[in-house]
Amino acid sequence: MKGLWLLLILLALVALAALPWYGSDVLVQFGISTLLLAVLAQGWNIIGGYTGYASFGNSVFYGLGAYGVAIAMVQWNLPFGVGMVFGVVLAVVFAFLLGLPVLRLRGHYFAIATLALAQVMAAIVSNIPLAGQNIGLVLPPLNNDRLFYELSLALLVLATLTVFWLTRSKFGFGLIAIRENEEGAAVMGVNTTLYKVMAFALSGIFTALAGGIHAYWITFLDPESAFDISLNVKMIIMAVFGGPGTVLGPVVGAFVLSAVSEVLSSEVTSIAGLFFGIVVVAAVVLMPRGVADVIRRFRTSGWRYFAENIKAHRL
Amino acid sequence: MDLFAQILVNGVLLGGLYAVMALGLALVWGVLNIVNLAHGAFIMLGAYLSWHLYTYLGIDPFLGLPITAILMFCLGYAVQRGLLNLIVRAPMFNTLLITFGLEVVLTYLAQIAFSADFRTINPSYAGAHISLGPLVIPLARLMAFGVAIVLTVGMWVFLLRTRLGRAIRATAQNLVAARLYGVEPRHLYAMTFGIGIGLAGAAGGLYGTVSQINPYIGATLTAKSFAIAIIGGLENPLGVIVGGLVLGIIESLTVAYVGATFGDVASFGVLVLVLIVRPSGILGKTA
Repeated sequence: MKGLWLLLILLALVALAALPWYGSDVLVQFGISTLLLAVLAQGWNIIGGYTGYASFGNSVFYGLGAYGVAIAMVQWNLPFGVGMVFGVVLAVVFAFLLGLPVLRLRGHYFAIATLALAQVMAAIVSNIPLAGQNIGLVLPPLNNDRLFYELSLALLVLATLTVFWLTRSKFGFGLIAIRENEEGAAVMGVNTTLYKVMAFALSGIFTALAGGIHAYWITFLDPESAFDISLNVKMIIMAVFGGPGTVLGPVVGAFVLSAVSEVLSSEVTSIAGLFFGIVVVAAVVLMPRGVADVIRRFRTSGWRYFAENIKAHRL
Repeated sequence: MDLFAQILVNGVLLGGLYAVMALGLALVWGVLNIVNLAHGAFIMLGAYLSWHLYTYLGIDPFLGLPITAILMFCLGYAVQRGLLNLIVRAPMFNTLLITFGLEVVLTYLAQIAFSADFRTINPSYAGAHISLGPLVIPLARLMAFGVAIVLTVGMWVFLLRTRLGRAIRATAQNLVAARLYGVEPRHLYAMTFGIGIGLAGAAGGLYGTVSQINPYIGATLTAKSFAIAIIGGLENPLGVIVGGLVLGIIESLTVAYVGATFGDVASFGVLVLVLIVRPSGILGKTA
């Protein structure tokens, strides 16, 4: 059974990696944005799904990664790779500086504090001359979608392997312990502050790398698009829809929801946003533990599964 | 000096409006333990409702406030009874998520229904003002401030003195005990949420008379309402007035002395600071 799963995943990976050689240009572009969204969902999974700290401000890391690449390439004429490293450094510094105070907050307070941070960053960056202020930065164009696609896929594989490592390492068990009972974890000898900040930073690294790739691919960024608040909506919904705290859930969630929203928005443009909202509302009511849990439990309870979820949480 | 006084006056007038915005959020949070991330979107809907009443039926925005508030109350009651009651007992994150989803839905529906154009409610007295020595006080803002204070104090009296108010407070303290004394929680939760959304609608109507409205104002207003509720604490509606005034004055000072784009930075900076230093609010009890 385990070997079969592994084989299936490898096959899917090969099919995905070969896509630029048999798919159309439109499909490759759709693939890049879907893979990057999957990275964001997977990055959120580390802090939100495994550590239990629902960050509504991960878009900050995305913006920092994007600006890291843009500033390095446009203002300092450095290569793309150096820009990516610079973006990651920015994200890690941010995760430590602001993570230390903000991660002391719990529940609603943490969620809203991160939401507020995300809103503040766009305003701050639009006042920094180095970052091009309100006007933004234009990066040197590189017309090579195949490269961007493979980079995004490699990043997603790396993020997913990291999350897989979490499920079987001391660090990962520490995070899960914090999610289940933070005081208990501290009593058992988990350095909760360090673990939380490390998880925040790790989540930020992947998000920043995705932001960097996206910036170079689109070749333009301004504060509004780099620190787009609605990115938080998407990454959280995708992770929650697929199953937070599972290895493949966020990836499946991102693929499924991106595909459906792409089909919908080709019919009516503004309907895609509405669709995301309706999916969250329905998912929270009917399947709060995501697709992963539906698959696991649907066999035993059938359609009653959805009614049971409502029964468990209603007044 | 005159400039400074004028900035303070602007801040205080803005603060009153902010207080009403936060009032409904604080009520729902305190009683239902739901931080309603769609609160700002409901304010936005209230503003559009007021705008329609004024533009198509010619109803003065201040006289139309009760209509807006009652219609929004009905919407809030229905949302809680039909949807949110289904997940009230779920973990905190799920309630955040579902109201987040509601915010997205309301914003996009508003965009489809009302278009993304900026709207303003412009009654005949919109440009009128009162001069107090060197100070200028815009009439519409002063009226909005007055209504805001009346609503907030009225809310306080309502919670303290009426039967329903007592039931709401009892439920906030202990749901099981309140149930034993005959409170029907499904109805009471819906009433509380309805009142919260009704207040959001009234706040929206007031907002429309002093500022521009578009479908996207919701998220910022939610965050500001949250900041005010945190600064003021959840125990007492009068704390919200303090929170609103603090935020209004800080914003006015920042916009005047640092730069217009820093207004939101200041208010959210204050939010993060207060959260870190004193999560139970300036007036709240220490944890």
